[in-house]
Amino acid sequence: MPAEHLVHLVDDEEAIRLSAGFLLRTNGYVVKSYVSGVAFLADADRETRGCVLLDIRMPELDGLEVQRRLSERGIEMPVIMLTGHGDVALAVRAIKAGAVEFLEKPFQKAALLAAIEEAFRRVDDADRIHLDAAEAVIRLAALTPREGDVLQGIVQGQPNKITAYELGISIRTVEAHRAALMVKLHARSLSEVLRIAFAAGLGERG
Amino acid sequence: MPKASQHPRVAGGSDTPRRTVTTSADELVLLIDGATNYAIYMLDPEGRVTIWNRGAERIKGWTEAEIVGHHFSRSYPAEEIAAGKPAADLARAHAEGRVEEESWRVRKDGSEFLANITITALYDDDGKLRGFGKVVRDITEQKSAERALAGRERHLASILATVPDAMIVIEEHGRISSFSAAAEKLFGYAEAEVLGENVAMLMPRADRDTHDGYLATYRATGERHVIGSTRIAVGLRRNGETFPMELAVGETSSGGQRIFTGFIRDLSERRLTEQRLHELQSELIHIYRLSAMGTMASTLAHELNQPLTAIANYLETTRDMLADARTPELEMIREALDMAAGQSLRAGDIVRRLREFVAHGEVGRASEKLDTLVHEAASLGLIGAHEAGVRVIMSLDPEPHQVLVDRVQVEQVLVNLIRNALQAMQDCPTRELTITTARESAGCVQVTVTDTGMGIAADMSDRLFQAFATTKEDGLGLGLSICRTIIEAHGGRIWATPAPGGGTSFHFTLVRADPENADAG
Repeated sequence: MPAEHLVHLVDDEEAIRLSAGFLLRTNGYVVKSYVSGVAFLADADRETRGCVLLDIRMPELDGLEVQRRLSERGIEMPVIMLTGHGDVALAVRAIKAGAVEFLEKPFQKAALLAAIEEAFRRVDDADRIHLDAAEAVIRLAALTPREGDVLQGIVQGQPNKITAYELGISIRTVEAHRAALMVKLHARSLSEVLRIAFAAGLGERG
Repeated sequence: MPKASQHPRVAGGSDTPRRTVTTSADELVLLIDGATNYAIYMLDPEGRVTIWNRGAERIKGWTEAEIVGHHFSRSYPAEEIAAGKPAADLARAHAEGRVEEESWRVRKDGSEFLANITITALYDDDGKLRGFGKVVRDITEQKSAERALAGRERHLASILATVPDAMIVIEEHGRISSFSAAAEKLFGYAEAEVLGENVAMLMPRADRDTHDGYLATYRATGERHVIGSTRIAVGLRRNGETFPMELAVGETSSGGQRIFTGFIRDLSERRLTEQRLHELQSELIHIYRLSAMGTMASTLAHELNQPLTAIANYLETTRDMLADARTPELEMIREALDMAAGQSLRAGDIVRRLREFVAHGEVGRASEKLDTLVHEAASLGLIGAHEAGVRVIMSLDPEPHQVLVDRVQVEQVLVNLIRNALQAMQDCPTRELTITTARESAGCVQVTVTDTGMGIAADMSDRLFQAFATTKEDGLGLGLSICRTIIEAHGGRIWATPAPGGGTSFHFTLVRADPENADAG
């Protein structure tokens, strides 16, 4: 289904548009490129299909803002966030706002493709979301109480030192717990951790 | 008592031979009248005025015609007349021969003036009292001028006493004639101890002869060295301590003698302050540069990530397009593309770490192999060591250790210690660098970097890490205090000890990663 294999690539950097476009096309995707969030939003409407690759730091409208407006307008395309800066707080916001994945540049081809596949799986399979949630809850149950606390800190986008202070433990211990919970949740990246956590309903406290 | 002859003689007059009566009398009158600043007059034994000069007219106001025959007490203030002072004065003059005093007198117009009065009893040849000679001088102005002068002197003295600069006065051969309280405090001598001594005692030995030379030159040629100008010199305190001082010397003469006044300011504190200011400025510039570098590094990182991403994308894609490479050549190309892709991703990794490190962001700690860490740091830190003829000994613990660290930061510490060690050994005959690792109790490992350099004084080893403690920001891991910050943030300790056989050892500890998490991440 060609329509399902459409990727909207939004990045103000030409080299990214060209090279990522090349990468995706040779892997069977149809790619539409946009120089800015504004240009993309002008084209997008409720009928638009496909998934969106969004660079966070763009002039005028940044990626998070574009994501917000998409959901405001009821456009339900899955979003993958890209960034040249590694920023935990941004990652949390993006994932909380519903992004499928958060990738730091330069990213591995395999990582990008995996994210896009996941994005399309979500579109296809609403049930999968529920499965994900159930699976996530099970995985979370394997965590020790302290690991759970540390996970909360991550979900709130807190730097480790704040978490350490709040829990009354050392930063070293926080990091050790962090490393441990990643293993238990079978997560290989921060955004995976976040997705699992949100899937289990962790971010939605009052 | 002087004897009077026919003509009255003023007390103290010499015995001159008598001249003809008329001539000498006229001359005398001219003489006495000429002394207009002095009231010179004569009284009879009862105190009535018999002779009255021009000066008396001028000073007291009454003319000769008005006063002759009248009692001299007219010119006393009223209360003294009531007290009987005029008669008492005459009686005293009669008894003692001469009375001199300063007292108030009244003029004809009633105004008062301060007078210097001399009353001399006059006797004729037979010893009989002829009368009294009086000389009166109006000293009102003189007195007020004297008082003003005394007042100014007191004022000046009080100013000089409060001048914080030390003041030393010397005569032209260098002997101290005055030593102010501030000078006593500055040099540690009491004035009594230095008066009369050559001022050269307050200078370092080396300068003493030079000073005497300057004084001699000036005495002989008038050629000035320091007089009239301010210069920096070195002073010597009583306790042997030398200090920088600012010296200003002025010249004056007193009683025909040349004297020199020196004002001295202790510059030690100023010098310290200047030094400190200099240090702070340098640090400020340093921090400024580092923070500018930090911003630049951040921007650079972002900029670099874009082309790196593009490169990685192209390489990975083209590599995968050759997935079923049929020929050896194509296979080689595919492999090469794979390598290149890996390197570009690695470059991205380095950029990311650099940015995180410089920005003090949330730097991740992970479980790292200690040996890898040491070797990586060594390869960077030992650049140029071989060429410098340094022998490197790596004595690592055979047991493999995993440590929970930020690899970049800890490597930075190690690189810094290694570079310091190389510098310390630069000019030494023996140049040997040893790096050891060993397990320590309490779940730590200890890393030691030892050099065969000049070593550090034992009492300096505490200040070693503090000397740079004021450098607040790091960016590129410079300075021992930064090393300490990093190691302590990792929960370890860092310290220095003298190495056996000279040289220094720097040690730091790292926390071993919890075995459970050895495979995390």
